[in-house]
Amino acid sequence: MSHEPFETQAAAYALGALDGDERAQFEEHLARGCAACVAALREFDETLADVARELPPTIPPAHVKTTVMRRVAATPGRRLSSRRWRSMRWAVGTAAAVVGVSAFVAGLVASRYEARIGAMARETAAIRADLRAQEAALRDRLGVARTVIALLRDPATRIITLRGAGPSPTASARLLWHAREGGHLFIANLPPPSPGKAYELWTISSGQPRPAGVFTVDGSGQASQPVAANPGPVDVWAVTLEPEGGVSAPTGPVVLASSR
Amino acid sequence: MAWAGAELIRRMADGDADACGVFYDRYARLTYPLVVRIVRDPADAADVLQQVFWEVWQAAATYDPARGSPEAWIVMRARTRAIDRLRIIRGRGETFVAPVDEAVAGALDRLPDAQREVIELAYFGGLTQTEIAERLEQPLGTVKTRMRLGLERLREIMKTTP
Repeated sequence: MSHEPFETQAAAYALGALDGDERAQFEEHLARGCAACVAALREFDETLADVARELPPTIPPAHVKTTVMRRVAATPGRRLSSRRWRSMRWAVGTAAAVVGVSAFVAGLVASRYEARIGAMARETAAIRADLRAQEAALRDRLGVARTVIALLRDPATRIITLRGAGPSPTASARLLWHAREGGHLFIANLPPPSPGKAYELWTISSGQPRPAGVFTVDGSGQASQPVAANPGPVDVWAVTLEPEGGVSAPTGPVVLASSR
Repeated sequence: MAWAGAELIRRMADGDADACGVFYDRYARLTYPLVVRIVRDPADAADVLQQVFWEVWQAAATYDPARGSPEAWIVMRARTRAIDRLRIIRGRGETFVAPVDEAVAGALDRLPDAQREVIELAYFGGLTQTEIAERLEQPLGTVKTRMRLGLERLREIMKTTP
């Protein structure tokens, strides 16, 4: 391959306009230490700085300097030991290793990316946070699945059906219940509570209701709610609509109840 | 003569905040017009300028005088950041920020229109050579040649103009 195409690529590269395979190709060429292209690039960079100098003068707003200087003043001590600097060096070092050349040429390439490293780090952090959230959600679901399997394996577990009542006749629920281990309540078709309200589960023994957990439902009217163990016999399970924080004795309408 | 730009950058790398103030005063005047030209909106431009100088302070130790002048160094950083912002602005889709078409007095105006156009679309508009070819409905090879000829001519003009 003649050298001519690289001279053309150098101009586009200096203008930030080289894209795709050609960009990779040119950077690899630079990485081989082509003195002519390094020199051309350096001259083009200086030319473009001259172009910037010729733009009509505009005075930057004073607050910019104030803000920069305030942040600079707040920089603790020597930054060479800071993590940011180390990660920057790592990034530059990696670029050098990938192209496998003299530090000089690698630096010439890396300095074009350096300004983007901060943005990339922010994007990476966002993706990582998103993955963590997804992982947590999956762990939750896995935890529920494990609980349910353990409950189903135990012959002492009962499956109790709750039917919709009052304002939500089409709602339904199933409770996997083990008096000693606790259980898990699955709800379907229950409308999401209005703002400031939540659903509360009750055990009723000898006509006496006791709170057994406050929960809400998702947009599709479903809920999956662990229920703590309860030593005494339970006659009826019921769900009522209550103020958000829950109450110690039911005040709202019954929306789900088990048959006696 | 006051401190040379490279000396200011070296002092910043040593953590000298005063050097940063002097550096700002000298180079904000050079970079701000470029950033304004690229992102157009003054509030966005001020934001980008602040980011550029903060990053310069942090990256001062990576500056190598052998690779180019402080002017070329900071102009490249400012341009990269401004183009990043421009892409975000375009991505917001509020207003399409038209990539230039206003006369710049100076060397650019001494180029043939076809060469000036591709250089402005790339340098101020942040378009790649492929995007420029699509936009102008010209073969990619033509765009590349115009860029190179334009930039080479610009280099000669700058060398002969004091």
